[in-house]
Amino acid sequence: MTFDAIGIAGSALTVNRKWLDAISDNIANVNTARRTDEAAFQARYVQVEAAEGTGGVFVKADLYGSAEGRLFYDPSNPLADEDGLVRMPDIDLAQQMSALIIAQRAYAANAAVVDRARETYLAGLQIGRG
Amino acid sequence: MFDSVTFKALHSALDGLAARQRAVANNIANVNTPGYRAQRVSFEDALAASVARGDGAVTARTARSLEPTRQDGSNVNLDTETLSNIDTVLRYQFATQAMDGQFSSIRTALKWS
Repeated sequence: MTFDAIGIAGSALTVNRKWLDAISDNIANVNTARRTDEAAFQARYVQVEAAEGTGGVFVKADLYGSAEGRLFYDPSNPLADEDGLVRMPDIDLAQQMSALIIAQRAYAANAAVVDRARETYLAGLQIGRG
Repeated sequence: MFDSVTFKALHSALDGLAARQRAVANNIANVNTPGYRAQRVSFEDALAASVARGDGAVTARTARSLEPTRQDGSNVNLDTETLSNIDTVLRYQFATQAMDGQFSSIRTALKWS
C-alpha cells in the first residue's frame, strides 16, 4: 500500500523499544554476581532484520552473551567459593551505554517520521476541500 | 477532463512522492539494521519526459542505494533521509494544493446562478 509510512515507523519504534529494554536490563545487571558453579548473567542482544514486502523492521531473535562471564575475586561476597571467587557477567558498560544512545536516537528519528507521515496524510485529505 | 496531462502528471507526482515517503520511512526504520541497503525512489525525470511527450502518467521506480556501507553493514544516512523526509512532505503539500486547484476550477465551472 502507498500509505503505510506510519506503520513502518511504528515497527521501528517497537524494535528500538525492545532494544532499549534489553540494554537497560544489561546495565541493571552489570554487577549481578553468581556462584562459580552457576552460569553468569548473560547480556541480551536483539537481532533485527528488515521486513521485505510489507516494509519496516522486526526483531528476529534474542541473542545472549557469554554464560561463562568472568571470575572475580571477592571473598567478602556471601556467594564466593572457597577460593574467594564469584562469577560476574561479561558486559562492557561503555559498549552498552553507546548502544543506549544509538537506540534512543533511532527511536526519536522514527517518532519524527510518524509526525511527518501524518502531515503528508493530512495534506492528502485536503484534496477537493478548497 | 480528468484525463488531462495536468491531472495525470499531478496524480503521478502524488503517487511518486507517497512512494518516496514510504521508502524514507523504511530507510529510517532500518538505520541500524545490519546489511540493509537504503531505497531510492525516482520518478521526476521520467515524469518530465512524459509531460513533454504530452502524456503525464509514470510509475515511480525504486532502486537500492549503492553508497558504501558503515561498519554495521547498513548504508542509511540519517541526515539525508531526514532532509528527504521533510522535502517530500512539502512537495506533497505543494502537489495536493495544485490538485485541489484543478478540482476547484472544475467546481467553479459546474456552478451556475
